Amino acid sequence: MKHEKLIRRVLLGAIFLFFYFPILYMLVFSFNGSRSLTSFDGFSFQWYEKMFHDANMMEAIYYTLITAIIATAVSTFVGTITAIGLSKSRKLVRELVTQINNLPIMNPEIVTAVGLMLFYVSVHMEKGFITMLLAHIAFCIPYVILSIMPKLRSLDDNLAEAAMDLGATPMQALGKVIVPQIMPGIVSGALIAFTMSFDDFTISYFVSGNGVKNISTLVWTMSKRINPSINSLSAIIVLMITATLILVNVLPLLKEWLDQKNKATSKRVVGIVSLCFVLLISGGLAWLKNGAKQTMNRDEAIAQFGSDTLKVYNAGEYIDPQINEAFEQQYGVKVIYDTFDSNELMYTKLQGGENYDILIPSDYMIERLINEDYLQELDHSLIPNMSSLAAGLNDLEYDPDHTYSVPYFWGTVGIVYNKNNVDIEDLEKEGYNILKDQKYRGHIYLYDSERDSFMVALKALGYSMNTDKEEELEAAYEWLLEVVSTMDPEIVTDEVIDAMINGNKDMAVVYSGDAAYILAQNEAMSYYLPKEGTNLWSDSMVIPQNARSPKLAHAYINYILEYENSMNNSRFVGYTSSNGEVLETLSGSGGEFETNEAYLPRMNYDYDEIFHYNSKTKKIISDFWTKVKIAK
Amino acid sequence: MKTWKRLTYPYIFWMMVMVVIPMLLIVMYAFTKAGNDVATLQFTFDNFVHFFTDADFLSTLWISLRIALVTTVLCVFIGYPIAYLIANSKPQRRNLYILLITLPMWINMLVRTYAWIGILSDNGLVNHVLQWFGLAPQKLLYTDFSVILGMVYNFIPFMILQIESSLAKMDRSLLDAANDLGANRWQRFCKVTLPLSLPGVVSGITLVFLPAVSSFVIPKLLGGGGYMLIGNVIENQFITVGEWNFGSAISMVMAVIIMISMVVTRKLDKSDEGLTRKRGKV
Repeated sequence: MKHEKLIRRVLLGAIFLFFYFPILYMLVFSFNGSRSLTSFDGFSFQWYEKMFHDANMMEAIYYTLITAIIATAVSTFVGTITAIGLSKSRKLVRELVTQINNLPIMNPEIVTAVGLMLFYVSVHMEKGFITMLLAHIAFCIPYVILSIMPKLRSLDDNLAEAAMDLGATPMQALGKVIVPQIMPGIVSGALIAFTMSFDDFTISYFVSGNGVKNISTLVWTMSKRINPSINSLSAIIVLMITATLILVNVLPLLKEWLDQKNKATSKRVVGIVSLCFVLLISGGLAWLKNGAKQTMNRDEAIAQFGSDTLKVYNAGEYIDPQINEAFEQQYGVKVIYDTFDSNELMYTKLQGGENYDILIPSDYMIERLINEDYLQELDHSLIPNMSSLAAGLNDLEYDPDHTYSVPYFWGTVGIVYNKNNVDIEDLEKEGYNILKDQKYRGHIYLYDSERDSFMVALKALGYSMNTDKEEELEAAYEWLLEVVSTMDPEIVTDEVIDAMINGNKDMAVVYSGDAAYILAQNEAMSYYLPKEGTNLWSDSMVIPQNARSPKLAHAYINYILEYENSMNNSRFVGYTSSNGEVLETLSGSGGEFETNEAYLPRMNYDYDEIFHYNSKTKKIISDFWTKVKIAK
Repeated sequence: MKTWKRLTYPYIFWMMVMVVIPMLLIVMYAFTKAGNDVATLQFTFDNFVHFFTDADFLSTLWISLRIALVTTVLCVFIGYPIAYLIANSKPQRRNLYILLITLPMWINMLVRTYAWIGILSDNGLVNHVLQWFGLAPQKLLYTDFSVILGMVYNFIPFMILQIESSLAKMDRSLLDAANDLGANRWQRFCKVTLPLSLPGVVSGITLVFLPAVSSFVIPKLLGGGGYMLIGNVIENQFITVGEWNFGSAISMVMAVIIMISMVVTRKLDKSDEGLTRKRGKV
């Protein structure tokens, strides 16, 4: 028997360690002194500070809580009356409703989510808080009904009859007899609803938008790069959940204890406690909302620009957040800042009819947007700072006169390598073909981008990266296939940045801006642009046709170009500024990026090209790339 | 009493709008061509043909099913002994254990999954410990292993709670009876306990298998950028590629596969109690 006890302890201990270790790990690292998620470098509150100053996070917590509270209240009420009604309905109706009610529970969440998204699009509802709230109510009600039904089934049918025989109205019978009887079911239903809503990611991800994020969708966008604020956010969540649980468990106990003493005071005390709780919650929410939206004198902005909100849609982790805050302060407006993972994602949203004032897509995508008439012409008189654009950014093929677009960041695609482990002679001799050199097998990262992977392959083979010849694309496909099948490379996205800073592997194909950041963080790394040429890319600010605040958008473009802002932005993100003076200062002698090989783009090199949009080759490349990834 | 029936009307209306219509929309999109308005719907099977004739999509589906299956099997084999131990502990301890199992499920799933990145990464905690013992560091993150680990971590509580509740409901006197009739411990377990706990195992299986097949968060976070399961393909079609018709077709295929597996398992498990405790949070 002793033996058994030991086994029990070990097994249960192991499983609870498994459950709680990651949570503990996050809590510990939320106090980390550095960015790292893997080594603890001293105690600090900096991530908490960052979190409380981050309007996005405060807003996400606010939306999560308010959604969960309203969704719980509504779904509990509707679920309760529906369940009671169903118990008195004909069997056929009851069965049918129950079956349909089970659909969202039995369906994978992602299916429910896309269904709702299609629905909102069909009825032209703009994605935002309301769409998210309605969706949450929709998926919470079934669980409430399901948890109340068994309680009703075990209820004596005659109870309500008896109450009414004694003179109670149907409503009184409901409130005084039925509801108290099924209370445990209602409470557990409400709890399920609350946690489902509080936790939801999949459905919110598909149906929210326009700057409205809950905690889950925010974490999703933040998790692309290592971001220790996620740890402090999770610590706050643990705190909130613990508080809720304590409340739920302690209140009934308190009531019971007081009931034993004195019924009248008990009611009063419970009332006071509940009131305090409600005040506390609404106070907290108001505070969060205030943190989220600094009130400023918006009338001025409206008078000057005809609007007090600006919606910006940019790639993730691609701006110094202080710039938006400073812009808000200076102009007395609210910036709704959304991020995308890829140009294609941005295009899909635009196509779906979403409204933005500023987009920051890449060259080829701008070409496409111009062709498809999505953009409006810029009024250059409103953007005086355009005169400071770097020389290398004139005559960009997709928009030579900056009629539609103003460059934001620009750069190249090259190879970051570890100087200690990679022989520079190999790189110079082999160029991109070093990715097939068996010497470096298993030490390579490829970037998960079909465009740039094919750029590398096509350039390695000596073709143009804009080729539309099928045999050349086919050859590039074979080239990539050989790389993945013989070199054991890892195909990654933005996690490559932290991985290279940590020195996990020796070589990676990356964008110059990320390379500049890697080089700045790890001195062993350097950046190489192969002689076969590369993709000279630029991401530019554009204003879509359906922008609601075009004037303010022009002001924003001008603001971004300003020397000081462009400088801060470039230093924060590591990408190359489009402002010529900033470029000179940062890469010139004594500049922050003076010795950084990745910062200053290679200019006027014959083999470098700008990527062009071609719908035909896009499809071919996209299919090939999927096959390459699956072949791995 | 009759008036109470009317209480269901608001929800029946709501359900039509928010549950039935979205489902119908998926079916409609799945069977039509891209870019046509409701007025000029063009019926087609192309989306399904595209899916079922493309070896890549089929292999992704196959991999998703395989990963979900491995996850489910692991959850059964790890979850069963744990559930057994919990069901056989003293009532007060039992309540504590159950609380301890449900507690983590209250904390945001994304956040909990994200935590594993730091633990599993190439120079993360596990590899530090390995090196400390003089062992070679292993590639853990962005592999099948990390994805399955993430799934087991997120879904095993459902399994444990299901099995535990069916074990706890079991009539103990049956074991005494078997004992009296001369059955040894092993026989008692195989002939009495195991069959009686099967409904719990079965509903646990559905609760693990269903989210495991369709998850796209765990594969993306712990599988890395290049890792694709069927859920990621759907997400990709809707969010990045913008081919909603094709995406709807894949969603339908997945929903049908899951419905079939539900029906099969439901046959084995008559009670619908499994659903009430799907989340197992309460």
